[in-house]
Amino acid sequence: MVAVRADTASPDARAASPDARAAFPDARAAFPDARAVFFAAAPAYRTTANALPVEAAMPGTPAVDLSVRIGSLTLRTPVMPASGCFGPELGALIPVTELGATVTKTVFGSARGGNPVHRLTEIPAGMVNSVGIPSHGPAGYLASLHPRYAALDVPTIISVGGHRPSEYAPVVAALGENGAAFELNVSCPNLDRDGTDIGSDPAAIREVVAAVRLVTVKPIIVKLPVLVASIADCARAAEEAGADAVCVANSIPAMPLDALTRRPILGNVIGGLSGPSIKPIVLRLVWLASRAVQIPVIACGGVQTVDDALDYFSVGASAVQVGTASFARPFAAVEVARGLRQRCQDAGVGSIRELLELEVS
Amino acid sequence: MSADASLASEGAPSPGLLRQAQHGVDELDRREAYRQSREAAARARAFAEADAEALDGLVSVRPRQTVPRPQPVWDDAEVLVHEPVGERYRRLVVASSTIAHTALAGQFLMITVPPHAGDTILLPRPMAIHRRRPATADRPGTVEMIYGVVGRGTRALAAVPVGGTLQITGPLGRGFEFDSGTRSALLIGRGVGICGVMGAAEDARTTGIRTTMVLSGRSAEQLLGRADCAELGVRIIEATDDDGSSDLLTLQNSLRARFDGATPERTAPDVIMVCGAGVLARLAAELGAHWGVPVQASLEAHMACGLGYCHGCAGPVRTDPSVEGPLVCADGPVFDARIPVV
Ligand SMILES: Cc1cc2nc3c(=O)[nH]c(=O)nc-3n(C[C@H](O)[C@H](O)[C@H](O)COP(=O)(O)OP(=O)(O)OC[C@H]3O[C@@H](n4cnc5c(N)ncnc54)[C@H](O)[C@@H]3O)c2cc1C
Ligand SMILES: Cc1cc2nc3c(=O)[nH]c(=O)nc-3n(C[C@H](O)[C@H](O)[C@H](O)COP(=O)(O)O)c2cc1C
Ligand code: FES
Repeated sequence: MVAVRADTASPDARAASPDARAAFPDARAAFPDARAVFFAAAPAYRTTANALPVEAAMPGTPAVDLSVRIGSLTLRTPVMPASGCFGPELGALIPVTELGATVTKTVFGSARGGNPVHRLTEIPAGMVNSVGIPSHGPAGYLASLHPRYAALDVPTIISVGGHRPSEYAPVVAALGENGAAFELNVSCPNLDRDGTDIGSDPAAIREVVAAVRLVTVKPIIVKLPVLVASIADCARAAEEAGADAVCVANSIPAMPLDALTRRPILGNVIGGLSGPSIKPIVLRLVWLASRAVQIPVIACGGVQTVDDALDYFSVGASAVQVGTASFARPFAAVEVARGLRQRCQDAGVGSIRELLELEVS
Repeated sequence: MSADASLASEGAPSPGLLRQAQHGVDELDRREAYRQSREAAARARAFAEADAEALDGLVSVRPRQTVPRPQPVWDDAEVLVHEPVGERYRRLVVASSTIAHTALAGQFLMITVPPHAGDTILLPRPMAIHRRRPATADRPGTVEMIYGVVGRGTRALAAVPVGGTLQITGPLGRGFEFDSGTRSALLIGRGVGICGVMGAAEDARTTGIRTTMVLSGRSAEQLLGRADCAELGVRIIEATDDDGSSDLLTLQNSLRARFDGATPERTAPDVIMVCGAGVLARLAAELGAHWGVPVQASLEAHMACGLGYCHGCAGPVRTDPSVEGPLVCADGPVFDARIPVV
């Protein structure tokens, strides 16, 4: 059995009722499948698609409000995919409108081809990827990908990258009015500084954010790397320069070797480790960052279940991103969002804060 | 010391001697095991290098598909059959009416591997759809896969019991396609790659295309696909390492001789479809060039999403450094294979 049903009691595929198919967006579907059942199991509030949560609460229980503010943007639920671990292809596989937002793969200023094969692997410590962030540049993104994100009917957070601090603002400017917010991926080698990560250098973070702040009024999220001398200093630098949130964190630099040949598995030799094993490392960073800044901290690292999300909320996170877990379970993020609501309902509370107060008291 | 014990100690070696002897045996075993592991490493390296070299410049994305690609779904599929096939492989039949109904020849699934013995597998594993059996009035549609147990993921997969469920996502990718007017086909599969091309044999059967399949493998006992070919009316050519018939040059020569055009039966096939190794794809492309017929080759790549958004599965196609090459999961796994003009 796949342990996927812990948070939402979806019926077995075989127990699918005929009306499960009604929610199935693909007209060609001739048979009920687990995906169709999952769509059909959406909480009642889904009928009011774009509105803020006004789900049918049971009489006598408070309505659950999971909404979270990132600057001027309000997300219906504090769960979203991690950059690079989501694509519009998932629109037909999961009810994306149940997520707070989507996050795009990082868009760079110029076109990039990506790294040589192999680009990813799995070792006992987790997933390691060195995709190398292929990108068509902002114009290519707007022409081919953005319309598909926009069609998903949830806010699109566009991830933006650069090889020097000066490269970010022009990309954001070129993206113009598109997207609901920008996530600045500063876990990129700084070519002005011998390849040290931009995000490990508070001065460089300040420079990036200040420049982007000048070209957009939309919310700015700064996605920080794991390997930094002081995550508090990095988060504060982002906040002081005008960021609306920080995302903690990116994958952890790692080097997987083939057990038999002792050669690097990845074409790029090194890659980023992700998945459940990085959660304790990121949990510490989220805790430290949350104590350092007033702006929301979005936690990203190894979230698989609603309890992983609640762990992050309990150390100060305001929202979570789900990355690697989506590959094996495309519905993982939706399941976490549903699970948070369910937990609040079960506890008879109206918010995650109240739920956590109840749990630690 | 009793009389018995002293007698025994005269006839048998002392525990110390035994230990020493055992130590010597262990030492020999260990050396042998070490030697074998180094040999396996050298083979793995040589195979990877030969594959990369063979595929260099060979494949390109196929022209636009005529049949619309089915919408992938994920399903919790009941495991109906899960049994060993020979020494090296396992057969897995799961129930999913949607996927059995929609899957095209040469498409694949991503199988989410449940945790096993405390080991959690994060990434789903790509597996070719070997056979599709659409639903009938009294049983659900099924898909069959055959896989080799090669690492952590497939080891954990092998532990899933009949009656359990597996989460599968599919059907995925761009499969094999017969142009209209195709009258005959040569399919070439090696090892589990035989499963990659079997879907094309199913289609050929439905549309009345005369089909021959090369079943290649290490030994005759381990060859997959004989029963499937018999069921589908496919002529078989066996090629195995143990008698040398799978050697690339030998195989190429025997296929050229077999389809030398001497009789109508020996007319060259209208299309070649291949799955199993880069070197076989190149062999097929050489035959294709010789006969002047198109070649479709199914490739593998490490994958995470299988849907085209993680960009993890770059295909072996060289492009301008600023342009991303095709993705095996979305633009393939089936590509055109053509010998590059130098
Ligand atoms: C489109 C496609 C169809 C396939 N069809 C079949 C099939 O029908 N039967 C079969 O036995 N095998 C098939 N494979 C190969 C199969 O996916 C791998 O053998 C399997 O992923 C190995 O997993 P593992 O954990 O046991 O090995 P490990 O070596 O422990 O895996 C480590 C990582 O590398 C990846 N990996 C290792 N080898 C391969 C490989 N050859 N191809 C892709 N990823 C790999 C794994 O997915 C995993 O992420 C297919 C691969 C692709 C891409
Ligand atoms: C295949 C893959 C691609 C990724 N691409 C990006 C990217 O383009 N930009 C980015 O900021 N992070 C990228 N990441 C990092 C993730 O967004 C996330 O920070 C990391 O995987 C940790 O979260 P997880 O453990 O939930 O996966 C990628 C991760 C993976 C696995
Ligand atoms: S496996 Fe994700 S893009 Fe191909």
